[in-house]
Amino acid sequence: MSRTLHVCLLLLAALLLTGLGSLLHGSGISLYALLHPSTLPLLESQLLWQLRLPRLLMAACSGMLLGCAGSAVQARFRNPLAEPGLLGIYSGAALVAALALSLNAGLMAVSLAGFAGSVLALCLLRTLAGQASGTRLLLAGVAISTLLASLLTLLITTLPDGALRSVTFWLMGSYAGAQWQQVGLMLLATPLVWLGLFRHWHLLNALQLGEATAFHLGFDVRRGSWLIVLLASIAAGVVVASCGMIGFVGLLAPHLARLLLGSDARRLMLAAPLFGAWLTVGADWLARSLLAPAELPVGVITSLLGAPFFLWLLRHAKDEHA
Amino acid sequence: MLELQDISLKLGGKTVIRQVSLQAQPGELCVILGPNGAGKSSLLQLMSGYRQPDSGQVSLAGKPLTGQGPASLARQRAVVEQHPALPAGWRVSELIATGAYQTRAMVSDSIWQQVLVLSDTASLQNRTLDSLSGGEAQRVHLARALLQLLVSSSLERYLLLDEATSALDFAIADAMVARLHHIAGSLGIGIVAVMHDLNLALRHADRVLLLRDGVAVASGKTAEVMDKQQLEAIYGVALAELTSPDAQVRAFVPRTSD
Repeated sequence: MSRTLHVCLLLLAALLLTGLGSLLHGSGISLYALLHPSTLPLLESQLLWQLRLPRLLMAACSGMLLGCAGSAVQARFRNPLAEPGLLGIYSGAALVAALALSLNAGLMAVSLAGFAGSVLALCLLRTLAGQASGTRLLLAGVAISTLLASLLTLLITTLPDGALRSVTFWLMGSYAGAQWQQVGLMLLATPLVWLGLFRHWHLLNALQLGEATAFHLGFDVRRGSWLIVLLASIAAGVVVASCGMIGFVGLLAPHLARLLLGSDARRLMLAAPLFGAWLTVGADWLARSLLAPAELPVGVITSLLGAPFFLWLLRHAKDEHA
Repeated sequence: MLELQDISLKLGGKTVIRQVSLQAQPGELCVILGPNGAGKSSLLQLMSGYRQPDSGQVSLAGKPLTGQGPASLARQRAVVEQHPALPAGWRVSELIATGAYQTRAMVSDSIWQQVLVLSDTASLQNRTLDSLSGGEAQRVHLARALLQLLVSSSLERYLLLDEATSALDFAIADAMVARLHHIAGSLGIGIVAVMHDLNLALRHADRVLLLRDGVAVASGKTAEVMDKQQLEAIYGVALAELTSPDAQVRAFVPRTSD
C-alpha cells in the first residue's frame, strides 16, 4: 500500500501544481495575492472567483468522475477498451443537450437536459438489455450509443448556423463559461460516485475474474453489475451534461493508474481519479493558452494528446490479454 | 451432505442432465467421470448453485440451494472452474486473497501459510499471474478456493473442482489429489471433482459417479463402480486392466486398435 500512497501523493502534488499554474497563468494574479485574496483588485478578484476557480474545479471534478467511471466500466466488463461512452451515456446526454442548445436554452438548462439524456440512455439500456449483465449488456450499450449518435447527427444537419456552432463547440468539450451551480453539482456528484464505487472494490476485483467466479466468491453479480453501471453512468452523465464530450480521459486515466499500480480495483479507484483530474486540468490549461486569446475545445486537446499516448501504451505495455 | 435428487437440466433445448442423483459426504473425495460432453461440468454448476435445475433439487446440509443467496453459498462451498481467469497485472497473492472477500476478515498468518502449503504455491505468491504456467495457475486458483473454505465458519464445507488438475503433470497431479484427499479427511471438507484421469480417480476417490449423455450410469464406492466392462461401455474403447505384482496398484490403459 505504501507504493499506492507514494503514487497518489505524487499525483496530488502534480495536480495541485498544474491547477495553480492554470489558475494563475495569464491572470496577472500573483501567488501572494492568491493567498491573500482581500488584497486583490476588483477585476482580478472577479476573474479569479467567477471565471478561473469554477473552471478549474469543473475540470478537476470531470477528470475525477471520468477516471472513476472508466476504471469501474473496464473492471466490470473485463475489457481494457471499455469506457462509459460505450454504454450510450455520452450519446444520450449529447443528444438531449444538443436539442436544448438548438432551442436556445441557457447553460444550466442545457446541463440539466444533458443529465436527463444520460438517464434516458440508461433507462433504455436497462429496458433493452433486460437481465443481461455481461457482453450482451455491453453490446446493447454499443447499439444504443450508435442509435443515439445517429439521431444527434440528424439533429445537427437540421440546425441553423448559429446553433450549429454552439452545439459543435459544446460536443467537443469545454470548461469555458463554467458556472458555480454546475460546479456545485459536480462537487456533490464526485465524492458520492467515488465513495459508491470505492465501497465495492471487492466486487470490482471479483468481476475481473469472470461472472461465474464472482458468484462463487459470494457476490450477487447481476445486482452488483447494475449498481456499477448506474454509478459510472451518473459520473459520465454529470460530466457530459456540464462540459460536453471530454474524450479519452475515461479510457486513459485507468490505464495510467494500472501501469503504475497494477489492476487491483482499490488502488485503481484511488489513482485513476487523480490521473483523470490531472489530465483534464492540464488539458484545459493548454486549451486556453496554446492559441491565446483564442480558445480550443478541451476535448480536442485530450483526444490529440490521448490518442497517440494510448497507442504508445498499447505498443510498449505488456499485452493485457496475452 | 451435498445431495442431488433426481435433477434434470436443459441447455439450449437439449437435455444435458437427466434425473441424476448423488450424495457427496463431508470428508470424502467424490469423483465424476465420463467422456467429453457427458454433462460433468453442468452437473458441477448445478451443485455450486450457479445454475438452477429444471426439475429435482440440490441441497446442502439439508437445505435446498434455491433461495440461498450467493454469500451464504460462498461460506459453504468453493469452486475451481475449468478455465479460470488470470487478469493481467495481478499478483498471485492478490488472487488468492479474493477467497477471503466474503468474510471481509483479516486472514491469519497460520491460515495463509496453511493454504500456501496445501496448494504448493508458497514459491509463487509474489509472481504476477501472466508469468504462470497452466499448472501453476490451477494451483493458485485451488489456493484461492481453499482459503475461501478455511476462513469460513460453516460446519459443512465442500470444494468443487472442474478438471482442476488437468494442466498438472502426473506426479504433481497425483500428489495434489492425495493432499486434497488428506484435507478432506482431516478437515471434514467434502470434495467433488470432475476428472478425466481414470487412474487418478481409481487411486484416490472414495466414491465415483459415471456419467454418459447426462445420465448417471453408475454411482457408488470406487472399487465397485470402476469396473472394466462398465468403463469400456461408457468411453467406447477397449481397456486393459493392469495390476501390480503386489496387487496394491490397479490401472486402466486403452488398448490400441491396431
